[in-house]
Amino acid sequence: MEKFTYTRPHSLAEAVDLLSEPGVRNQILAGGTDLLVQIRQSPPTFDRLVDVNRIPELKLIEGDGRVTVGAGVTIAEILHNPILRERAPLLVEACGHIGSVQIRNVASIGGNVANAAPCADTLPPLVCLEAEALLVSAHGERRLPVWDLVTGPHQTSLRPGELIRSFTFAAQPLSSRSAFLRIGRRQAMAISRLAVAAIGKRDSSGMVTEIRLATGSAFSKFRRETEVEAMLLGQAAEEALIVAAGQEMTRLFEAESGKRWSAPYKRLALAALTERALRQVLGGER
Amino acid sequence: MNTTFTLNGQPLSLDVPADLTLLSLLRDRLRLTGTKEGCAIGECGACSVMVDGLLVNACLTLAAQIDGCEVLTIEGICGPDGLPNDLQRAFIEHGASQCGFCTPGMIMAAEALISRNPSPKRREILSALSGNLCRCTGYHQIVEAIEDTARRRRKGGRPAHLPRDGEGGQPTTERRYIGKEAFWVDGVEKVTGRAMFIGDYHLPGLLHAKVLRSPVPHARIVRLEVSAALEVPGVVAAITAEDFVDHGNFGWPVKDSYVLAHEKVRYVGDPVAVLAGESVEAVQAGIQAIDLALEELPGVFDPAGALRDGAPLVPLASPSGEGNLVEKIIVRNGEPGPILGGCPVVLDETYHLPHQEHAYIETEGALAIPEQDGGLTVYANSQSPFINRDNLVAVLGLPPEKVRVVQPFVGGSFGGKDDIGYQNSAQTAALALKTGRPVHLLLTREESIIASYKRESMRIRFLLGADEDGDLKAAKVEALADSGAYPSNTPLAVWRGSMHLAGAYRYEAVSVDTEVVYTNNGYCGAFRGFGNTDAIAAIEQAIDELAHRVGRDPIDFRLQNCLRQGDRAMSGNTLHQEVGLSDCLRWVRERSDWDRKRSEYARQPEEQERRRGVGVACYFHGVGLGGEGEIPVTTTLEVGDDYSVRLTSGLTDYGQGSRTVFTIIAAETLGVRPERIHVLRPDTRTAVDSGPTVASRSSIMGGNATRVAASCVDRTLRWAAADLLGCDPAQLLRVGEGYVGPAEEPASFEAVVDHAREMGLVLSAHGRWEITGIDWDFETGKGTPYPAYTFGAQVAEIEVDRRTGERKVIGIWAAHDGGRILFPQGARGQMLGGIAQGLGYGMLEEMTFQEGYPQHVNYDGYLIPTAVDMPQVEGVFIEADFPGGPYGAKNLAEPVLLATAPAVANAFFHATGIRLRELPLTLERCLLGHALHPPGAADACRGALGHPVRPPT
Repeated sequence: MEKFTYTRPHSLAEAVDLLSEPGVRNQILAGGTDLLVQIRQSPPTFDRLVDVNRIPELKLIEGDGRVTVGAGVTIAEILHNPILRERAPLLVEACGHIGSVQIRNVASIGGNVANAAPCADTLPPLVCLEAEALLVSAHGERRLPVWDLVTGPHQTSLRPGELIRSFTFAAQPLSSRSAFLRIGRRQAMAISRLAVAAIGKRDSSGMVTEIRLATGSAFSKFRRETEVEAMLLGQAAEEALIVAAGQEMTRLFEAESGKRWSAPYKRLALAALTERALRQVLGGER
Repeated sequence: MNTTFTLNGQPLSLDVPADLTLLSLLRDRLRLTGTKEGCAIGECGACSVMVDGLLVNACLTLAAQIDGCEVLTIEGICGPDGLPNDLQRAFIEHGASQCGFCTPGMIMAAEALISRNPSPKRREILSALSGNLCRCTGYHQIVEAIEDTARRRRKGGRPAHLPRDGEGGQPTTERRYIGKEAFWVDGVEKVTGRAMFIGDYHLPGLLHAKVLRSPVPHARIVRLEVSAALEVPGVVAAITAEDFVDHGNFGWPVKDSYVLAHEKVRYVGDPVAVLAGESVEAVQAGIQAIDLALEELPGVFDPAGALRDGAPLVPLASPSGEGNLVEKIIVRNGEPGPILGGCPVVLDETYHLPHQEHAYIETEGALAIPEQDGGLTVYANSQSPFINRDNLVAVLGLPPEKVRVVQPFVGGSFGGKDDIGYQNSAQTAALALKTGRPVHLLLTREESIIASYKRESMRIRFLLGADEDGDLKAAKVEALADSGAYPSNTPLAVWRGSMHLAGAYRYEAVSVDTEVVYTNNGYCGAFRGFGNTDAIAAIEQAIDELAHRVGRDPIDFRLQNCLRQGDRAMSGNTLHQEVGLSDCLRWVRERSDWDRKRSEYARQPEEQERRRGVGVACYFHGVGLGGEGEIPVTTTLEVGDDYSVRLTSGLTDYGQGSRTVFTIIAAETLGVRPERIHVLRPDTRTAVDSGPTVASRSSIMGGNATRVAASCVDRTLRWAAADLLGCDPAQLLRVGEGYVGPAEEPASFEAVVDHAREMGLVLSAHGRWEITGIDWDFETGKGTPYPAYTFGAQVAEIEVDRRTGERKVIGIWAAHDGGRILFPQGARGQMLGGIAQGLGYGMLEEMTFQEGYPQHVNYDGYLIPTAVDMPQVEGVFIEADFPGGPYGAKNLAEPVLLATAPAVANAFFHATGIRLRELPLTLERCLLGHALHPPGAADACRGALGHPVRPPT
């Protein structure tokens, strides 16, 4: 007796139809690197797998004006894509830390977001890039910022029958710099214990003219760290300010996550990562 | 549903269930068993295959997904003639495959890399291998094989064949094979994926077994009723402890293990009952139907509390008569107390060593086949086939001649496939007898990590005294070892540890008091290093602290105090052999640029965030089994009708290369090419009981036995050659394999064999070797625990981020006095693999239990070093002569891992000024100086045991 059935749509329209079929508990299969582990660990809570790996619409990467990355694009494809290497180096850098060759060859950006793990390495960059997810279902399309799509650890606001089609964001300005710093327990094949992503720019006088900051594995929600950003924006990017920003990040962390078992460690490491990310994007020397 | 695809160039169309993984399709349906299962969650890469040219984990791919794709497996990599391709050959030549279990996946990853990047840089190779775990090699030789292959392919050249010495040419009295590059015996089977591991066997009518395991750490079995399980469709038979003689009681040196839990369960994962059925699914369903009622008992989780009054008793009856005490071990070499009282500097510190999981990539399993005479043949990847047979005979009540145990290829062991292997074997054997059908059991990775034994954790307190001149005077050591729920080999391991606890130094007096206790934290047993891993990790941190307190350079301090020939070891026995320890220390000092780095790193400004440090550790390690109970070893050698030489050893090869070592020794002694020698698989029908393959004893014991056997046959052949050539045997010379007398008319090996047969000579021999000179009195704690020791030293260089706790070992310099080196690639592989395991012990690995619940169940939580974690390693063998070893060899496998963890901890101190006194150096310890513990959860093992786990109360 099979635990579930399997179907493989070849177009987005077909996928949307399948996902809207009443009376069937569907589970989307993307790269499967998390899903197949879950299936092994606990009995499946769905009737049918909908394999979205061969839907051409989900594999698009477009770079005209705004950048669009299909949800089915794999981590390896992101790493090797010339458009993304030029226009979203932050995302590319983060993807380089994910898993192994085997994992990167199949894991997709859409799956990484939809799985919504606190340690998902594509999410801090997508938040910094202010990426918007395009969701499709039989009821039509809607757009959501990624921080509204991912609502908590392993929680999303995806509705039944809804599928992530793509992520769209403005290319990183050439004049800005970006940084992705993360800590893992070993040198490779280790999930992020903590991550900080940043995009920033300073003008010729050293004033911060742009700053976007997001973290991974620190807060219960992925979001722009606007309070820290506000400290920095319009200010001279001096060392003391950068240190203060790191301390502010830690203060926010303690207020929200200070009771977690890992807090004594993360409060210190988060300040360090924040400072370093800020130095990379706002520091004097390039 | 239908899936149509191309497999290694062959079109296939199959009906597959939706939930079938590609791994299961390949292995279970198509019986292409070169693709291995190591973890089933995409962490180890043993199942790596290519789908449309992309490397993927077959365990994370559904069979349905490959519809329309081209799949390439290890079986499709070989040349058309089935011979290894150039990359596979390079793996053999470089010693890149030890046990061979990760090898097919590793080769697929390497092919995927080279096909995309014909000129990979070292960094790119390491990164490309990060999804493929290897527990044996330490990765370096794998990287070298890939670099070599890429270079050759770029040049379009054929693979270079190993130079073969000893073929034809001039008469020679030089050594021809000892210490020369050699071709790894079994290499071809391993690199082509044809080597049959226990999970690869399939027979008609095979039944699958599944074990019901305890979901709680300590409970009385109130009711165990299997009848409902037998009603589940497809379930054929069930067994419990009642199905065995004396409830399946076994174990050595303390007979307190059970094939299946008896009266009580004592740890989470304790096996309770086993089902055999037509399919894995059927027995899984059957497990749910077993009626097991448990009355939970309070557990012992803190070893320090195990001996307190009122502590719950873990065993059914105390083997020592003192509650949870398994045994006490003492060393009495003088009276350290008064000397310590007079020492101007006394160190009094306590060190904690963690549980470590063996993490061999192949999990444990067994296959029992009923025979027509009412007996059994059992295939098992256990450590020692003879102990396995003897246990089977005892617990099944069968006559010895009716039980045969064969060892297939074993995918790594490191001491870890002893007791659990005997349990698996007895369980399948009982089911095979009950059903009259072959029964197969293979543990999942989760079961393996939960149920198998670990390296014991220890808490060790040292009182070390030195005088003003920095001379070590006395050591008083108190140690507490957590054996967990069963003794297994822990008493022996900790005995060995206790014999080394004060380190490789001269003292005027030493005392050691060690207690081994029961708890409900899993259970512990043998693991590479066998007690000395913990001992050296602790004493070498302590010696480093003492050196610091007396203001001495750590290497100077060690050189001043370390053992030399003629000194007395800590146990009071005199070292008569050559001692290469000082040479090892001087070598690592020079090669690591120690003096410059020590002074340079000491001047790092306080505010510097990324800091470097260098640290040293040195060791000694008793040869053979020693006073734990040395057993003679026998090798059988026979010249066959086809002029090949059959070699049978009672010792086993689970990847360390002993079959190659025996081949080299036999070839050297007999003066024949290694290709002529065939080492039979260990089989209790054909081999002679030689005790366990543990304690790094293969090369010395098995090597000597092989040399003795080969010498006997050689002598016989020389008589025959002399008779044939009409000369005195002393006048004979060897040219290649041939014999030459004064008349210089050579006789071929074949001709001499034929002549010997005509003369009626017997061309077979038993070679036996026994170690003498061991004399230990367990009561008084005095004597000679080992006939000889190996020595070594390592320097580690570490970089530490003081603000995040990130740390990376960037260099290791290792010198090991292993006597004469017989098989260089194998010896180097042992050193690198030992360093990798030591690195894991020092940096990453800690099998934690919370209230008895294991907190890691697979490679996603229990992290072992990847290729990227391995530092640069420069190693050397200081070949101090050892007359007691074959061609002067000593042992290697265990001692090479001893120094890494303490050297790393000492380097961390040098970098940061912080003494952790705990391993491993996790992120949290490195940043905060102490560990953080996630809230205890039974969740980690939920699901992994196949049935609900109740939370701790």
